[in-house]
Amino acid sequence: MSAGEGGSATPASRVPALVVMHADLAQALVRAAERVVGPFTDVTLLSNEGLSRDDLERGIESHVQSWEHGGLLLTDFWGGSCHICGASAMRRHGEVAIVTGVNLPLLLDYLHNRDRFPVGELAERLQQKGRDSIRVQRGTPA
Amino acid sequence: MSWVLHRIDDRLIHGQVLVAWGQRLDPVRIWVVDDGVASSPWERELFQDAAPGIDVHVTTVADAAAAYASEDEAPGSAFLLVRDLVTARRLAESVNGAREWNVGGLHYAPGKDKLNDYVYLNEADRAAARVLLGLGATLSVQDVPASRAVSLTSLDAGISA
Repeated sequence: MSAGEGGSATPASRVPALVVMHADLAQALVRAAERVVGPFTDVTLLSNEGLSRDDLERGIESHVQSWEHGGLLLTDFWGGSCHICGASAMRRHGEVAIVTGVNLPLLLDYLHNRDRFPVGELAERLQQKGRDSIRVQRGTPA
Repeated sequence: MSWVLHRIDDRLIHGQVLVAWGQRLDPVRIWVVDDGVASSPWERELFQDAAPGIDVHVTTVADAAAAYASEDEAPGSAFLLVRDLVTARRLAESVNGAREWNVGGLHYAPGKDKLNDYVYLNEADRAAARVLLGLGATLSVQDVPASRAVSLTSLDAGISA
């Protein structure tokens, strides 16, 4: 499944992404991102719902193997099946990196920068952006 | 203390284990007992890094059986994870297997019958379940602590037959 339709041709240097998460989270996150920036392509979605480790790994690999120059796996949390199976699936396929703990600001930063940085650099950048986006604002007691 | 969860789940370490059971039972060690994972350096490393703050041991069934009694006496609580009923049976035959085994995820594969959304069995699974029950084990189907536990035999009459 590709998020959004239309748009122009994919730049050769674009880093594609697979968002693989629990339940409907990937779909919801991408839908939220589309509300902010409009439709986009080159982001695919997968849920781990009801899948064994082997089936999830195969599902991820079927996306990853279509990437000619690597790409990013965006998952919800470190140590979850999406991360573990992603790590297994990506071993055989060029330059692929996993970013865990993905949130909406991180996904938006990916969309904004995926034509500008190679896979490894983009992954490092997103890690920082995701972290920086988590802040606390405390109210002042009356 | 030590063993607080014996879980049968084809995903081994994953979210339900780390977050749902982990927050409830607070393990300091997780034993991933799997001949295949133990024999693969990169898979071993993957699981060893999967649970920050928890000591993950990845071992073969034979090595887990050898360490089983001393782990039972060790300080802090520990999880034991196997991917299927056959592995559970192999371990239970070498140790005192009269334990409660949590059946947490045996997902669909061709030739398996559906018991619920996360448990599918074939004849090899049923045969292993029978041996486990014969050793005094209980098989309790429950994905996360917040859901209701039911016995595997209540979901599949074929096991008792």
